Amino acid sequence: MSAAPLIELTIDGRKVAVAPGTTVFDAARINGIAIPTLCHQQNETPVGVCRMCVVDVGARVFAASCVRPAEAGMVVTTCSERIESARHTLLELLMADHPSPCARQQHSGDCELETLARAAGIGASRFPRRAPRPQDDSSPAIAVAHDACILCDRCIRGCGDIRNNFVLARMGKGGATDIAFDAAAPMGESTCVSCGECMVSCPTGALTNKFVVSTALGAEHGAQSATTEELLALPVFHNVSGTFLELNKNAVIKRRYRKGEIVCREGDFGSTAFYILEGKVSVSISSPMAHVKTSGGERGFLSRLSSLLVGRANDHRAEDVTRRSIPIDAPVDLDYNHPVAELGPGELFGEMTCMNFYPRSATVRAETDCAVLEMLRNVLDTMRKNKTLRAQLDRTYRQRALEDHLRNVPLFRALDQEFLDRLRERVELASFAPGQLICRQGEPADSFYLVRLGFVKVSERHAGGELVLAYLSRGDYFGEIGLLGEGARTATCTALDHAEVVRIPGEEFRAMLDRFPSVRGGLEAVAQERQQANHERMAVLGSVPLESFLAQGLMEAQSLLVLDLERCTRCDACVNACADAHDGVTRLIREGLRFDKYLVATSCRQCRDPLCMVGCPVGSIRRRSSLEVIIEDWCIGCGLCAQNCPYGNINLHPFTVQADDPDHPGRKRAVVRKKATSCDLCTNQAEPSCVYACPHDAAHRVEPRQFFGSLVGAPAQRDAKGAK
Amino acid sequence: MRIDRTHTGWLVASCALLGAACVLYALARPTASPEPMGGTPLGLAFGITGFAFMIFAALLGARKRVPVWRLGRAQTWMRGHLWLGLLSLPLILLHAGFRAGGPLTTALLWLLIIVVASGLFGAALQHFMPATMTRQVPLETIYEEIDHVRAQLRAEAAERIARAKTIVVPENPDEEGAAARGAEPAAPLAAFYEREIRPYLDHAPGPSVLADRAQAERAFAGVRLLLPPELRDAVDDLENICEEERQLARQARLHRWLHGWLLVHVPLSIALILLGAVHAVVALRY
Amino acid sequence: MPRTRTTKKLAQRIDLNYFREARPLRQWKFRLTLAALALVLAWIGWHAARRDNAVYSAGKLSAAHAVFSNRCSACHVTAGGLFLVRKVSDHACLDCHDGPIHRASQTFTPSCASCHADHRGAIHLAEVSDARCTQCHANLQTRTGPSHLVTHIESFASDHPEFAVLRSEESDPTTIRFNHALHMQPNLTGPSGRVQLVCGDCHRLVSNASAEIVLGQHAAGAGMAEATYAANCASCHTLQFDKRFAEQVPHDTPERIHAFVVAKFQTYIAAHPAELRELRQPNRDLPRRPVPADYRLLTPPEWVAEHTGEAEDLLWRKTCKECHALNFAEGQSQASAAPLDTRLTNLAMLNTELPSVAPSNITLRYFPLAKFDHAQHQLVTCESCHAGARTSQQSSDILVPGIKTCRQCHRQGPQAAEARCFECHTYHDPTLRKFGPGHSSIEDLLSVVRRAPAERGTGAGD
Repeated sequence: MSAAPLIELTIDGRKVAVAPGTTVFDAARINGIAIPTLCHQQNETPVGVCRMCVVDVGARVFAASCVRPAEAGMVVTTCSERIESARHTLLELLMADHPSPCARQQHSGDCELETLARAAGIGASRFPRRAPRPQDDSSPAIAVAHDACILCDRCIRGCGDIRNNFVLARMGKGGATDIAFDAAAPMGESTCVSCGECMVSCPTGALTNKFVVSTALGAEHGAQSATTEELLALPVFHNVSGTFLELNKNAVIKRRYRKGEIVCREGDFGSTAFYILEGKVSVSISSPMAHVKTSGGERGFLSRLSSLLVGRANDHRAEDVTRRSIPIDAPVDLDYNHPVAELGPGELFGEMTCMNFYPRSATVRAETDCAVLEMLRNVLDTMRKNKTLRAQLDRTYRQRALEDHLRNVPLFRALDQEFLDRLRERVELASFAPGQLICRQGEPADSFYLVRLGFVKVSERHAGGELVLAYLSRGDYFGEIGLLGEGARTATCTALDHAEVVRIPGEEFRAMLDRFPSVRGGLEAVAQERQQANHERMAVLGSVPLESFLAQGLMEAQSLLVLDLERCTRCDACVNACADAHDGVTRLIREGLRFDKYLVATSCRQCRDPLCMVGCPVGSIRRRSSLEVIIEDWCIGCGLCAQNCPYGNINLHPFTVQADDPDHPGRKRAVVRKKATSCDLCTNQAEPSCVYACPHDAAHRVEPRQFFGSLVGAPAQRDAKGAK
Repeated sequence: MRIDRTHTGWLVASCALLGAACVLYALARPTASPEPMGGTPLGLAFGITGFAFMIFAALLGARKRVPVWRLGRAQTWMRGHLWLGLLSLPLILLHAGFRAGGPLTTALLWLLIIVVASGLFGAALQHFMPATMTRQVPLETIYEEIDHVRAQLRAEAAERIARAKTIVVPENPDEEGAAARGAEPAAPLAAFYEREIRPYLDHAPGPSVLADRAQAERAFAGVRLLLPPELRDAVDDLENICEEERQLARQARLHRWLHGWLLVHVPLSIALILLGAVHAVVALRY
Repeated sequence: MPRTRTTKKLAQRIDLNYFREARPLRQWKFRLTLAALALVLAWIGWHAARRDNAVYSAGKLSAAHAVFSNRCSACHVTAGGLFLVRKVSDHACLDCHDGPIHRASQTFTPSCASCHADHRGAIHLAEVSDARCTQCHANLQTRTGPSHLVTHIESFASDHPEFAVLRSEESDPTTIRFNHALHMQPNLTGPSGRVQLVCGDCHRLVSNASAEIVLGQHAAGAGMAEATYAANCASCHTLQFDKRFAEQVPHDTPERIHAFVVAKFQTYIAAHPAELRELRQPNRDLPRRPVPADYRLLTPPEWVAEHTGEAEDLLWRKTCKECHALNFAEGQSQASAAPLDTRLTNLAMLNTELPSVAPSNITLRYFPLAKFDHAQHQLVTCESCHAGARTSQQSSDILVPGIKTCRQCHRQGPQAAEARCFECHTYHDPTLRKFGPGHSSIEDLLSVVRRAPAERGTGAGD
């Protein structure tokens, strides 16, 4: 790189030389001269709207130093009476509308405007205050006080340039200008993803962290604001801007936990991630129960006898526990039979919670005395950009979790260790932003993907519309076809949120296959099966007109529980039977919308696009190869699936489970835990219990297009039993 | 349960059984033994069979208590209940030799007749009442939750009217009646709410104009005339809420019709079984 | 915003546990069931407490047994076992009743209860339906081989045979000569002028207890009294024997008549010794015979014997013979051929001339095995049934009506008199009936629990 000639200019009587393109502000800063700013932030493109940084460059008017490029021979005065007077007036004007003390000033005392105003000796403003603007509290994380906004544009640049979310913009003209989210929607109803960049960038109390305002990063557990020096000393914060840390002092806190204390509980909602500085923690979830039912053992003789009659003794499903590990929001997965793991210094957990506000996936308890850093999203983001941390995360993942994830792929299950070891080293780790395309339907397939973090939507496009096949979360995979180098992608994969995937390039894989030819045969068989299944599915999908279904979303369903209202006597036998078969909790509600003479009961529809699966922090809600959506026993009861289901088919219910007794380690005691419940088609019986128990032949579990076929134009076939 | 073509097998078997029973009776009886039919071997067979059918019919209630036990589908039990229960009447008549006998046996025969008749009545109801309910109550909900839903409707109406009161109507001096409306555009609606809607939803005693659909429509049309177009949604919503309340009231009535006969059928059938057992014990003992 | 209805909104209105809570319909079903059960138990308990077993009965008892309404065990014997179908064993009936068998040759003996079933209300238990009889008699078999009786009888109206007495084509065995046609003529000469006889002048109903025992039936006034000389014939058919006496001979055996006559003559001649001199009666001279003396002087015995002979000749040969069949011994006809003197002097000869009267053989009952109650049939004229009586000239005619006569009224169906078996016949052989005091005290009868006869003491003071 050839060195460009330096520009020489004079600032406050000092001669300085800077590279071409440097702004006057930076030139001054490099040489230790501080110029006050409001709208300028180091990591953002300067826009020069606040005019606080004006300097005298000898022109007719003052120049905003943050945007003005330095020129050779420029004589700059950063501080003179006129400049002072101008800044003073500016500040006074700005303080006129400022609700002093604003939220930021109240809670952390570092509102930049008020600080500057105080330094300039401005108390009450002479100018009249304009009409107050409303507070916007709709966002879960960020409080918006339009009154305190000085339109410095930092948030807009942060949201757009830095985060690429493009949610914020200015709206209105003149004095009625405000920042707006989307088209002036309340922040909570906009497309804002609560990344916090705007909040972090805002110099005043216009955008403040709600949790900062409340107690989330409170003072327990020996919390102390980590000083900037301390933080910078950590290798993971290497190269992070000190100013940033300075500004976000309250977004990261160092906590100390004594042995045995709980750091976080599964199911709680949160917004922070944890980085372990010292000590060890154990990560666990409550003892699982098979398929969300109450624990056995304490029931009486008669109940056990009756459960024989019911056939519950054989509640063993064909493909039980193909998943031998439970994916959680940490660098390691938990083994199904013994869901406990250990994390040590340098490991990061809680990323999903912090970034996407998913509930905590496991309970973390300190095994030894330990010190952790708890941080909000903005700090985590910055940390993740840090190369050291990334390398650390990648390494941890490869060592601890990747193999398990690979083993979960049926394709790789039979591979021997040597193959896997080599494979492990050859994978690439890639991250995607929300909505970003990973691969497109129809493209030549050339890679295999494994999800490490976040959610990926796999969808197919066909004549009738888009069909979401699955939402993949940690440990899921897609694209086996790409490994063998034949065929095009059958589906489009999109990152739903901030997703991190493991990618195995096809040619790498094929190269390895050459070395291990025995594996190829098995892979090809599986691939062919997949192709076949895809063809069939496409054929079925393309054959039926869908419009009349779409209104109720019946098209989304693969299995409906319909009640023939001309036969149903509203006797609740189905509900009682369902409850009896599922420990007293009914999985169906005899209420809903009607279609023709049928009531479409509120009971899991085994949707093609299982929205319920999005966001499960522990991946406990999943779909098996037969249709039904089941909720595995390690469900932590966060309720996200219930919120997501558009039909209200999932409900939370308290169950008595045997959990580790914290007072008597090694022993268990009964506690009440909420778990999500939904209809599982009674696959352990020959017939769903509701259908079995209806005395009037009114309840049917049907595949909707076949069942309603005559009404929507395709040949009717009654009672395809869940289209198995 | 509706009796349709799927019952053909049961119908044929029942007719065959009844026919055979009648034939046997006709063959046995011409000897015109004066002794009570019930005591003869054939009479005893009829009695035992009839009582067994009655017990099976009564067990339907028990079967419904353990719906998931694999003891046979609920529909099979229901069909059995209908047909065997029906057959028990002629069998018992044959058992009794068409004589009522003493006080106990007369009471038993009457109980049986009432139980079977009420059962037939209920079965007849089940052929058309569900369709009637489906047709007349599109906004149906679960019967046991009607009160709960009604409470929610009340809350929804209150919230809706509160929201309506906050709607700001942009003033347009050209429009007729704008001055009259003044600052409270929702006042007529609020008054209507207080006067009619709320008492109706609260089930205040006395007749309500909202209890009848046509009258309610007229009333609401009248209110609509007094309101600006911005409040139309509010009126529609409130009218919808009242319609739902009406339908729920109708649903409750229809549901009681559909299920009310059970209050006769079930207690009397239990009494029938008990008395039948007493009769069996005493008759066999003596 | 218009109201929307989505599945989720609808579902979230519902409380998930609604189906577990008490619902009014179920509650009321439960309560009413309990009430019904309570009522039933109360009813049964009330009757049990009052030891009132009548509630369990299969029908009202007949009037005769109504006093035992509470005592099921009076007839229903539980010793027979729980699963015995017929609990009313014959022992129970025979404790109080006497039910002799029908015939020794019957192939099986039906149980008492199979014919006499109670619990049918206030009926007469003795009124047994035809089917009980025809269960044997429709196809009669006997233990001793083929029966001499008609073997296929289904009912009176259809194939009941002609009455035996008419079927055998024998004639009436009576030895009395009687001509009904003659006697039914008008303008008969009676004791006090012309007379027209009617049936009832000779044939009267009988009503006496001894007849009941003999006839073996319960009816009162059932049979016809036998026609006797004294009651029915004497008023016209007098038995004068001699013009000297107004009296008649007694209607008795020839020996008594002889004694009477002899006594009479002896008394007379003792009182009228002048008659010993018998004058010749010229009108009694017989031609070509020596003319007797003008007078004969007889000794009293001679006189008695002579006139006795004359009288008895009249009697035997004319008066008695008119109705009776008199048998003379062989020696008697020779004796009668002997001259009168010889006869008169030989009293022994005279005595041996007494004839014997054949037994009259009047049939008292034409239906030995059935009963006919004339009293119940009074409404009908005698000739309606006994049509042959007016024209019968011989007493060998059997004037009892045939079954056809009866069938005119006694058929089955409406507008007919009953034709049930028991109206005429009795199953239990009346000749085998025993009568005697029972062995239950009143206390026994009225107590609810039945005691076996062995347990009961004698009737008095148990």
